[in-house]
Parts: sequence; C-alpha cells; structure tokens
Amino acid sequence: MILSNLLQTHASLIGPLSKMAGDWWLPKGASTFSPEVRFLWILFFCITVFFTSLIVVLTVFFSIRYRRTENRQHADPSPDHNTPLEITWTVIPLIIVMVIFALGFKYYMNMNVPPTNTYNIGVKAQKWSWTFTYPNHAVSKTLYLPLNRAVKLSMTSADVLHGFWIPSLSIQKDVVPGRVMTIWLEPTRVGRYELQCAEYCGDGHSLMRSPVIVASPAKFAEYLKAAANIWVHNGKTLPLAQVGRELYSTYGCNGCHTADGSMGTGPTWKNLAGNQVQLANGQTVTADYAYLRQAILYPGRKLVKGYGNIMPDFYNDFAGPGHTRNRRLNAMIWYINSLSNKANSASQPKIPNIPGTKAMSAPAAGKAPAKTTAASGGAKSALPAATVAMGEKLYSTLGCNACHTNNGKPGAGPTWKNLAGYPQALTNGKTEVADYKYIRYMILHPDKKVVKGFAPIMPAIYGAQLGGAANQKKLDAIIWYINSLSDKRGPSTEPPTGK
Amino acid sequence: MATISLHEADAAVGKRKNYLNQTTTIRSWLFTLDHKRIGLMYLAAGLTLFFIGGMLAEVIRTQLLVPTGLIFHGTGTIQSSYAAYKHYNQVFTLHGIIMVFMVLVPMIPGALGNFALPLMLGAKDVAFPRLNLLSFWLYISGAVLAVISTIMGAVDTGWTFYTPYSIDTSTYVVLMVSGIFLLGFSSIFTGLNFIVTIHKLRPFGMTWFRMPLFLWATYATAVIQVAATPVLGVTLLLLIVERVMGIGIFNPALGGNPVLFQHFFWFYSHPAVYIMILPAMGIISEIVPTFSRKHIFGYEFVAFSSLAIALIGFMVWGHHLFVNGQSAELDAIFSFLTFLVAVPSAVKVWNWLATMYKGAIKLDTPMLYALSFIILFTIGGLTGVVLGALAEDVVLHDTYFVVGHFHYVMFGGTIIAMLGGIHYWWPKMFGKMYNEFWARTACILLFIGVNLTFFPQLMVGAYGMPRRYASYLPKYQPYMVASTIGAYVQLVAFLIMASYLLHSLFRGKKAPVNPWGSGSLEWTTSSPPPTDNFDTIPVIGDHYDPYDYSHLQFDPAIGGYVHTEEHVGPHHVYHR
Repeated sequence: MILSNLLQTHASLIGPLSKMAGDWWLPKGASTFSPEVRFLWILFFCITVFFTSLIVVLTVFFSIRYRRTENRQHADPSPDHNTPLEITWTVIPLIIVMVIFALGFKYYMNMNVPPTNTYNIGVKAQKWSWTFTYPNHAVSKTLYLPLNRAVKLSMTSADVLHGFWIPSLSIQKDVVPGRVMTIWLEPTRVGRYELQCAEYCGDGHSLMRSPVIVASPAKFAEYLKAAANIWVHNGKTLPLAQVGRELYSTYGCNGCHTADGSMGTGPTWKNLAGNQVQLANGQTVTADYAYLRQAILYPGRKLVKGYGNIMPDFYNDFAGPGHTRNRRLNAMIWYINSLSNKANSASQPKIPNIPGTKAMSAPAAGKAPAKTTAASGGAKSALPAATVAMGEKLYSTLGCNACHTNNGKPGAGPTWKNLAGYPQALTNGKTEVADYKYIRYMILHPDKKVVKGFAPIMPAIYGAQLGGAANQKKLDAIIWYINSLSDKRGPSTEPPTGK
Repeated sequence: MATISLHEADAAVGKRKNYLNQTTTIRSWLFTLDHKRIGLMYLAAGLTLFFIGGMLAEVIRTQLLVPTGLIFHGTGTIQSSYAAYKHYNQVFTLHGIIMVFMVLVPMIPGALGNFALPLMLGAKDVAFPRLNLLSFWLYISGAVLAVISTIMGAVDTGWTFYTPYSIDTSTYVVLMVSGIFLLGFSSIFTGLNFIVTIHKLRPFGMTWFRMPLFLWATYATAVIQVAATPVLGVTLLLLIVERVMGIGIFNPALGGNPVLFQHFFWFYSHPAVYIMILPAMGIISEIVPTFSRKHIFGYEFVAFSSLAIALIGFMVWGHHLFVNGQSAELDAIFSFLTFLVAVPSAVKVWNWLATMYKGAIKLDTPMLYALSFIILFTIGGLTGVVLGALAEDVVLHDTYFVVGHFHYVMFGGTIIAMLGGIHYWWPKMFGKMYNEFWARTACILLFIGVNLTFFPQLMVGAYGMPRRYASYLPKYQPYMVASTIGAYVQLVAFLIMASYLLHSLFRGKKAPVNPWGSGSLEWTTSSPPPTDNFDTIPVIGDHYDPYDYSHLQFDPAIGGYVHTEEHVGPHHVYHR
C-alpha cells in the first residue's frame, strides 16, 4: 500500500528533483526516459550521501570518543547483541532497497514497452562502425532522429557483441550477433549527441562512435532525402545485383546468411536460387522467385528444415506501397541469384539486372561474379572468391591463425603469406617447393616434415578434422586461401577442385 | 602451571626453533606440507602478481591521461590506431585476469586463510596438507601458463572472455584459458580443504558458535569455491573446444548462443565476487573487536549474514545481463535478488559500528585499514545498489561507473582488508613488528589515493564514458586526469609499504606473542609459531569466547598483551 502510494506521489517530484544535477556527471537528458532516470539518480545520490556520511561520522566519532587511553584500557560495559535493534537495521535497508527496486522496475518497463505506431530505424553494428536504415530506405552512418517522435530501433550485429549506448538519450542495449535486438526512445531536445559502443568488441572498440542528430521533422526529412539515393554511383546506374550486395550487409542479412556456403544461423545464400529446398514441414520446394520473395517478406511461413523461426519480418523494408521497396527486394533477389550456379529465369526477378537491358542479363549458371582478392599477376587464373572466403573463415575458426600469420609476420609456425609456390627448407635437410601436394601433406601430417626454424608443435588433430573425402572441400578451401596469399600461385599449387 | 613467569616464557621462545628456521633448504620450502609456509609462499607469489597487475594499472592510467592515448596511439591512419589500441586492450585484459584470478580470488584464502585458519582452530595443520601443496603448485602453474600466453602475444578479450569475440580473436586465448582452468582447480582444492578442516579439526569445546568469525567467512567462501568454480572450468573447456575444434556452442556463426556464455560465465564470476569479499569481511570482523577491545556485536547476525551472502549470491548472476536481451521477467527477478543480497552486507557494517560503540579503540594500522574498509566498502556497496536498479543500470551498464563501483568493492574492500590482514598477522607470521608511523602514513595515503582514483571514475561513468576505451571524447579528460593522479598516489603509498615491510623483515623489532590483545587461539602461541603450531593442543572450556578481552592486560615491558593470572585457568590454556 505504502509502496503504491509512493509510486503515485513521486511523479510530482520527478520534475523539480531531476533538474538538480548539473550537466557534469549525469548528462543533461534528451529523451522521455531521462527525467525518470535522473530522478532515480538523485534519489540514490541522497540515500548514498546520507548513509555514507552517517557511517563516516560514526566511525570518526567513535574513534575519538571511545579512544583507548592510559586510564581507559577496557571497553565500557555494553551488550554484545540486541536482537530488536539488529532486526530493525536489517528491515530498514530492506524496505529502502525494495522501494528502489520497484521504481527501477517501473521505469525499466517504460523503456521496454514501445508505444504503437513507432518510427522504425534499422541499426547494424559491425567492427567498428554503425549503419542506420530508415523507412524510406535511406542508409546513413549518422543516426538521424526525429524530435518528439517515438522511434523503434531494430539492431543486428554482423560479427561480435556490440553495445548501443547514447548517454544523452538515456538508452543502452547490447547488440547480440544472431539476434535482432530492439529498443525504443523518444528524443525531446534538438541537438547533436554521441553514440558509443559500450560492449567491448576489439581493436577499434573505443573508436566505434557515431554522431546522433536529433532534428525537427522538416530538417529530419531533408537529411533522409540526401541519404536515400543508393541506385546511382558517380552518375552511373548500378546493376541491381550489386545494389543487392550492399543491401545484404546494410540490412544485416549477413549476420545470419552467409554468401559462401559456410554455416550460419540461417540458410546460406550460396547456390540457393534455383535449387531444391527442404522445408521443416517435410515438403521440398524449388527456390524460385516467388519462394525467395516470400521467404524475405514472411520468413516464418515456409521454414527451412534445421533452422529456427527467428528471422525478423522484412515486410516493412521491402514490400507495401512504394516503387523503391519493390526495387530493393528485386535487388536482393538478384544478388541471391548471382550467388547460385542454378540461377535461371524462374528464380530471377522480372525486372532486368542492369537497368535498360532485357532480362536474362544475369550471370549464366556457374559463373558467379568472382571477387578477385589477389589483384597482382594479371596472367593468373581468377580465384574462386567464395571458396577463398570459406578458407579464410576456417583459418580463424580452426585456430590456424594462432600460429600462422597471413601477413608475413613471424609466428609459432611459418607465415602463409607467399608460402604457396615458394621453396621450403626442411629440418631433414631437404628443400621442397610448396605445391598443392606439399601443403596438403603438411596440414594432414604436421609431424612428418617440419620447416627449418620451427618446432614440431602443430597438433595432429587437423589430420582427423580435414582428412578423408568428406572434408576434402574444407581442406581445399584452406589451400585456396593459402594460394590467395601468395604471388607465386599457379596450377601446381592450386587445388584441383573448388573453382 | 605458573611456575615460570610470562617474561621468561617469551624470552625462551626467542631461542627456540620456529617454522621459519626449522629447516632452511629451498627444497624444504618448495615441497613443504606446513600450512604456514604454504601460506607465505602464496603471499610472496600473490604479492608479486599484485605488483605486476598494479604496474599494468599504472600503464592503463597513464594511457588515459590524454583523449587519444598517451602510450598507445595511432600515427594518423585509422588502421594504425586500431593496431595501437590492440596493445592497450591486451594491457587491461592482463590487468583484469591477474587481479581477479590470481590476486583477489586466491590471495586471502591462499595466503591469510592458509596461515591463520589452522592456528585459529588450534590445529596442527589443515585436514589435507598434500592437497594444500597441490593447490599452491596449481596456482603457480596457472600463473606460468598465463605468463607464457602473454609472452607469446597476450590476450585481448577482456577478463570476461565474452564470445564470439574470444572465438574470433587471433590472440592466445586457449593458453590463457587453460591457465585459468588450473587456477580454478587450485581454488576448488583450497575450498575443499578448508571445509573439511573446519568440520573435523575444531578442538574439543569449540562449537560452531565459538569459532572466530574469520572462520565463518572462510567457510562460506569455501562453499562457493567448491560449488561455483566447476562451472567456470566447464565453461572455459567449452570455449577451448569451440575454438580448437570449431564446434558451435557460443558462436552464433556456428549455431551457438553468445548469451549462454555470459550466463555460464557469471554463474561463476558473480559468486566469485563473494569469494573475494567474504574473507575480507571475516578479517574486518577480527580486527574491529580486537582494536576496540569489545565483543563483536551480534555474533550470530554476522555469522549468518556470511552464509546468506554466499547463498543469495548464487542467484544474482543475471544482473550482469540486464541490457543483453534477457527477458524482462528474468531482469526483474535478478534485480530483486540483487537488492536482497545488499541487506546482509549492510547488516555487517552496522554490527561493526556497534562493536566500536563504547569500545576502547586504538587506531593501530590494522584498525586504520578496517575503518578504511568500512567507508570504502559502503561506497562500493551503495553504488552497487544503484546498478541493481533496472532503469539505472540501462544508463550505467558497461560505463566507468561500473569500473569505479567494482574497484571500490574489490580494491577498497578486498585489497584494503587483505592489507589490513597482512598487517594484523604480520607479527605472527614473521615474529617482527613494523614501523607503526610509516604504516599508518601509507594507509592514510592509500585511502586518499583510492578515493582520488575511483571517485572520478564513478562520475565520468555516469557522464557516459564507456569502459575498456583506449581513447575517449575530450569532455571526459578532467575526470581521467584526476583518476590517474590518484593512481600515482597509490603507487607512492605502496612503495612506502614495501619499504617498511622489508625493513621489518630484516630489522624489525621482535614481536610479542599477542601484540594486539586478540582473544583467538593463534595469539596464544609464539611469534612466529613452532612448526607444529602449539606445544600442547589447546583445550577449549565452556567459557571460551574469542571475543572476550576482559582477561587480557597490556604489559608495557614486552609490548604485548598477557593473560591476567586469575584467567589462566582450565578453560583457556596458555602456551609457552
């Protein structure tokens, strides 16, 4: 009863009390949460100051008043316990903390329950930057917020944990990879604030900051218009698949769907379009245009076997009224097609990839546009980008990177930079050229041949992990990756498969 | 009984062999089964690690003197900044790992617990002396693995090893984690040993409620060590399995769940906070009555509050995950339990104050540390209450406010109490007194330094500065500079401390049997004690009370306290 009364009457105190603290420790708040947070802060401050002072005063007073002197060697008689007193000083702190708990919980629920009809902004965190996407599909690196409007932020991380933290707007939430984290807020003061990453994320953690601009609705619309145009670059209209590739990371699809065939929280996009898909309900369907469209707009309807129903609904981003949304959806599907060796007219969008041309200008089956990592050596064959990327991923997931660097720096094992194709001096006195056979042998039997200057410490476990026909693809991916790091690679050093 | 005068008894003690000079070979130290020697080795190893961790802290504070970083900073390009800040990240990671796993967790039980616990029980040793030696060597092995990992390239994950970063990073995580795995076993064995020792080796007549409170605190700690540490071991093993074999457990890229790691990790690491603070509270519960010459107020409340903290402390780990996407219902439950655990801590503070009331207080160095503890721990505890409130945690989580809070608790609490304990038992350990003037000076300087270092951190955290930042916004600089000055003041205090303690070891005045006038059993044997602790096994009578000071009288001739004749009776054996 007392508690509920207190919760009701304190509201009148929030205003005046929250003005007490200056702008030198708790920042001057600029969202609807700020006054509540500030009120609780001041309340705490008073409690803390009161109890700390009480304890300091008592310690100092007792130390002086009851000091030991020549004539006062023994304590005065006083009881060594007093149960009513002890219960009192157990119950009083208990009541105080329960009130604080109730207030903290109440305000927290305000932070957790967004109002309906919010303005939605997508946030993507990655090492070490933030990107923001708006309902009009504008994408920006600065977070623009409309004044006095409830905004809901849906946040994804492309790699590790990040923390979305805007001190002035009194809001913080971790961005957990593999999940969509949501928060809402309503800015109440125009200004420029800072977004700082609060959850440690590696080398650039302290530089992972973005400006936050709260602007009047008119100004806000201007900002968005400027940020909206993604279809044109340097006056040239881009192919949709290329725009789709940008969107793939802008929308954080890459947080769950890989483009290289490796495992993710969602199905990979590699070789998806045009292929058969096993659904959780037992059916098998072909991933044609209609299926891909539905999977993006209504992810839960035709769930793929082996995956949870966790994908957020992208309906608001890609469908509904508006030419751009549809065009984005098509760009995305064009990109998915570009990753598949079975892409065909049934799986491709009806609008052409390169604006102004007829449909079917998509890359033919098996010729996915490969990103060439090794730019040097024009005569060399192109690297299979997806396989190299898979190899690079294995390089870190299997822990190869603990001993082998990829940049020529010394490590516990030989560096992989310029390894393939180069002669290697061994501890047995021989010298061998690092061709495909050699590299394969070294991975599978690390203890048999050892490179001069290194200890035979590489675990034999990789033989079991990467040996055998089942793991051929993984092994070759790693060797492709090693090849991609060398300027002397050639047919003899490249794996026979994986292209 | 009293055919030999107490002066003569003390003089005789000086000529006798004690545990320090019974044997002198290095081997006799490294493979000793004597709990006192193991305790001293823990003390030496722990203080060495504390020194390393402390110097790393000075590096951190020096880096943060300027917004872009004074020691590690880029050369203009963003890539060069990333590369430079990686080193800063390695420094704060190593600082955290050393201080948490190698100093705060093992130091009080390992060094002071090992030394004092059997003595306080009137026992010859702990229940399993060999296991005790194994604990120590596991501790050393863990520290050595950590050193190797550091030499090979260090770790940059933060002491929390949060996934998936700890899976992704190319630094030497597996080696470091293996080291901590060993440290965990060391901790479990110590806990096990203490539980059995307290159950089985109490002398006749020493019921549970006649034990000194340090033993209650150590017992509560040991329960946590045994029950929680295995979870850390399993978690770290899973991390190694995921990193080495690529099996998806915590990494979402492999189908794992990173929040699961946080639950596992804090299921150990929050109770671990109580592993750090409970024995510290135990030390304070010894020092305050002794130097007030008054019975501890509310013995049962203090004893049971230790157990309450240990038990409730197991159920609050989720408060580290308030902004990590845990459901709001869980948040509410964890917040509620967090507030509950604050109450027994408050109870202890009131009881210590009530003990001082009408006492005969002498502000010797251990008592100064105890008073510092009470004040600093109050600030640390109350700032913890702030963080426990859900709405407030949202704006303070992962900021310097958290850094300030746990340094007030861990440094202002655990380390200050540990230093108090070292000063308290120092005469018993080495049979030497230290220079009281310099000891008090260092303590007061340290108190100033701690506040100057960590109070600005509380302020800048509330202002919005996140933790683990190698560089920061210029508006935070004044706070950072003040904090760094505080860290340098602390350094000066520690240098003074090192000087007078070393001086005491070699030139110190001989310590009497009972220099402070404490009533517990370790102060009835000689300083330093013989290898077997007591010449005769103490017999405890019905009137035994470790907090009864009425029979102790200061004797200026020996500079210590002696039993008045009428009390040297059957209920309390006095040893020569």
